[in-house]
Amino acid sequence: MPARSPLSLVGLAALLGFLLVTTASSAKAHRLAEAPRQAELIELIGDRRSAVADLDEAVAQLRDEVAKGKVAISRSSAADEREAEEQAQLAKLAGTVALTGRGVVVQLSHSDRTPTSSADAGAYRINDADLQLVVNALLAAGADAVAINDSRLVSTTAIRAAGAHIVVNFRPLVPPFRVAAIGADRRAFESSAIAADFKRWSGMFGLGYTVSTSSEVTVPAYAGRVTIANAEPR
Amino acid sequence: MIAILGLVVGAVVAIVLRPTVPQEMTRYAAMAVVAAIDAGLGGVRSYAEQTFSDRIFVVAFVTNAAAAAGLVWIGDQLSVDLVTAVVVVFGVRIFQNVAAIRRRVFGG
Repeated sequence: MPARSPLSLVGLAALLGFLLVTTASSAKAHRLAEAPRQAELIELIGDRRSAVADLDEAVAQLRDEVAKGKVAISRSSAADEREAEEQAQLAKLAGTVALTGRGVVVQLSHSDRTPTSSADAGAYRINDADLQLVVNALLAAGADAVAINDSRLVSTTAIRAAGAHIVVNFRPLVPPFRVAAIGADRRAFESSAIAADFKRWSGMFGLGYTVSTSSEVTVPAYAGRVTIANAEPR
Repeated sequence: MIAILGLVVGAVVAIVLRPTVPQEMTRYAAMAVVAAIDAGLGGVRSYAEQTFSDRIFVVAFVTNAAAAAGLVWIGDQLSVDLVTAVVVVFGVRIFQNVAAIRRRVFGG
């Protein structure tokens, strides 16, 4: 039987071998071509992030200088002095100055346990809603100023999820999440529903949850835009 | 066997020439290869069963590969992933052919 068709068999076998090696090697070449692009993108993201951090710092510094300049000018007249005082008060309320004082620090982190099923994987992670509830409970407990991982919360701040990350003031947070609240009452916070839930969840799912009181909690200034662009007082 | 010799020759030619398939064609080429592997194993099986016909073998080899690549292409036009269909069908057939060859070679 083999004598009947050696040529076609050899030919097709050769074709098969040729195709096999060609597709395998080109698939590998394409994979290799993708790799540097990914690294480039990662580097670009890192560069932009550090540029943003530098700008944030510059904004804080310039605001500080402006505040100092205003204080210097205000010495000239009583009216200016009143205005400067009023502005300083407004800056405190708006969150554009760093504050320090007695307060509560709540630290939250993802569980290091592996979820039993993909359906309840979310229960083993800190979600944006968890942070929102904790912040709301802290504000209800009398917090004057709140920051998450040194990102100051102001009236226009959104705490939201972007994929697997939590974004505050348009910057992604790196876990663990440290919520610092000046002026919050620890007992009032711990009697809130979310604090009771977290106490339960830390046992059930292994979520990191610690509450501590400190006599010197520092909350940095908000570096973003506080100017209201479209709304007008009436 | 002479077919294995052909396989090696083809592989060596590809290694020496280093041709590359354009990226958008790799999906089709890969599916054609899967179909061709099935046809090749089918040829070995029919040879072992003494029903080998070179005409059927050549036609099966070419049409299987063309049908697999064509199906994937049509799937891409309709944005339906027919790669899975090709992989499943030819994957099952490859295992069946291997099993048939194994039974011939080892008996039972």
